Amino acid sequence: MLSAQNVTKTFGETQALNAVSLTVMPGDIYCLLGANGAGKTTLINVFLNFLSPTSGIAQVNGRDVTVEPLQTKRDLAYIPEQVMLYGVLSGLENLDYFAALATGQKQSGVTLLRLLADVGLDETAAMRRVATYSKGMRQKVGIAIAMAKEAKALLLDEPTSGLDPSAANEFSQLLKKASQNGVAVLTTTHDLFHAKQTATRIGIMKRGQLVAELSSADITHSDLEALYLQHMRA
Amino acid sequence: MASKSTLRVPAWIARKDFSEYLRDGRLHWAGGLVLILLLTALAVGWQNQRAISGERAVAQKLDYSDWVSQNTRHPHDAAHQGMHVFKPEPPLSVIDPGITPYVGSTLWLQAHRQSEVKFRPAQDATGLQRLGQLSAAWVLQVLGPLLIIVLGFNAFAGERELGTLRQTLSLGITQRQLLWGKALGLLACLAVLLLPAGIAALVASLWGLTSELQMDTTLRLLGLGLGYGVYLLIAIFVVLAVSAWAKTSRVALVVLLGIWIVGTLMVPRAASDLARTLNPSPSRLEFASKMNADLHTHYQQAWKDNFGVDKRWGSDLPLNKWGVALQVDDHAGYGVTDKHFGDLWHAFEHQQRSQEWAGLVVPILALRSFSMGIAGTDFANHRDFSVAAEQHRRLMQDLMSADLVKNADSLDNKHFAYQADPKLWATVPRFGYQLPGVAAAFQNNLLSLLVLLAVLTISVLLARAACARRLL
Repeated sequence: MLSAQNVTKTFGETQALNAVSLTVMPGDIYCLLGANGAGKTTLINVFLNFLSPTSGIAQVNGRDVTVEPLQTKRDLAYIPEQVMLYGVLSGLENLDYFAALATGQKQSGVTLLRLLADVGLDETAAMRRVATYSKGMRQKVGIAIAMAKEAKALLLDEPTSGLDPSAANEFSQLLKKASQNGVAVLTTTHDLFHAKQTATRIGIMKRGQLVAELSSADITHSDLEALYLQHMRA
Repeated sequence: MASKSTLRVPAWIARKDFSEYLRDGRLHWAGGLVLILLLTALAVGWQNQRAISGERAVAQKLDYSDWVSQNTRHPHDAAHQGMHVFKPEPPLSVIDPGITPYVGSTLWLQAHRQSEVKFRPAQDATGLQRLGQLSAAWVLQVLGPLLIIVLGFNAFAGERELGTLRQTLSLGITQRQLLWGKALGLLACLAVLLLPAGIAALVASLWGLTSELQMDTTLRLLGLGLGYGVYLLIAIFVVLAVSAWAKTSRVALVVLLGIWIVGTLMVPRAASDLARTLNPSPSRLEFASKMNADLHTHYQQAWKDNFGVDKRWGSDLPLNKWGVALQVDDHAGYGVTDKHFGDLWHAFEHQQRSQEWAGLVVPILALRSFSMGIAGTDFANHRDFSVAAEQHRRLMQDLMSADLVKNADSLDNKHFAYQADPKLWATVPRFGYQLPGVAAAFQNNLLSLLVLLAVLTISVLLARAACARRLL
């Protein structure tokens, strides 16, 4: 579903991505770990065609993101570290707007309210202006937008950063639910615990390179921590 | 995404933007202020237009009544007394008074001399008038773009800073759809504000007009709607182009305010001075002295050719030829005054045309010209009135001189004892002037409209180019 083949991205003399190759299949939750500046967000931006790769190919559902950017974006849903919404509009109005843009059609109020309820926002919260929302509530609206879009792949850029443990756990459950429905999930995080709990596969990035790739089921939390630290110190 | 959603997406974006403008208070405060100013300007304009129209109609009637009620007297004395004619105030001066306050409204039709229009309202104005007259046209021309800047400066730049642009563009919509949506959103704000003002303008302009004039005025109003619509669309696309291009909304605001100050306050004044330099017109003194010298030469020649004398109105010419001499003298001057006034007016019109072309850079100049022209308050209309008044003066003068030739020249030395029958005065008809129709107005101002449309095309291309770049 998501595929990067030798993707390289340079900014002047800085190499943000260095021949990164990875594949995320439907139902996978692929978690990218790495320090700040490792290239995790750059890779997400390449999949979104917000950045063009210097070399290599990034594909969504078999389509090159630089050749068919609109088509590939229609198969994707993107949730950044902080889902940015329109503060003067309510959660429901934000979902209504973004879902319409994403799908090309308006959805009924009942459907939208159900989507918000599915991610844990009740009707009272849905009617409030987003300016009053916590970060967790905003992230939930972001998930609702992705669900409304029925995206085949989710790109998440440190989505649980700053969330309290309970909200982060809720968020992980939503991701698992999405993956069970056949959605391919590529997420970045600094949180090893979250990665181990949520991911089916884990990649470790360092200075633009994918230095390790492993299955979450094959490794314990402490082994993952040790492996991560080993790569970071190397 | 289905192709029909290509059209729906901009509508959804526009609706969302409109809700934001409404809820964040910008539309209420900035738009409300402009709307209040607009309605105030319309109310003041309407009151002025009604008062002036009424006064002039009464004055025209009384003046003609004075003319026809003269007692028996020498016709040339009557021609010297003459009559006054008053320029009708166009109904759409309610919206755009144009040059009317500066060029006067009343002409004294007297023997021998083509007068200048007198009684300029600006002469009686206080120093505050120097700040500019509040009119609906001024509000739309100057404050209209400022309102669009206030509403739209952060259309792209602000969303980029906020992060919502990233969210929006990740959904698979095109940047062009985003541009059209944002333009539509700003247009919706303007429509909400301008529709009530447009209805008020329609009612104020059509009130009390004959059905023929109502049709003419309605068509003019539609023309003004077209001109101002194009102008405000230009502002919308320039604002969006700058907002898409600027890295931050602060930069966008500073650049746009700079463009506004230069484009609406500074360059129009400079363009006016430049137009005068490129197409110089004589000073009042130069004009009068050149025309008088030319008139003198032609009078001399005409007297020599017709009567073989060098001195006008001297004892060499017998009194039984003084009626004919008046006709010869007047007709000798017609061509000269036509030439001098024609040259002067041509210079003014060339200055006007220069400014219309300058509208390619500063569209307010083209709009100002178009607006005055369609409202019937521009120089072309003033010239038309002056020409019609001069024709009326010549008719009056010729009728008086013809009567002298017929009845006074035969009296030889008793020429000046001749007293015309009062019935003679009524042979001079009322001055029944009507402003040129709407077709002429559009024809005269086609260049301004084409210039505005050209600038709109350029601004749309600019905005599209700005949005064709990576916006993130």
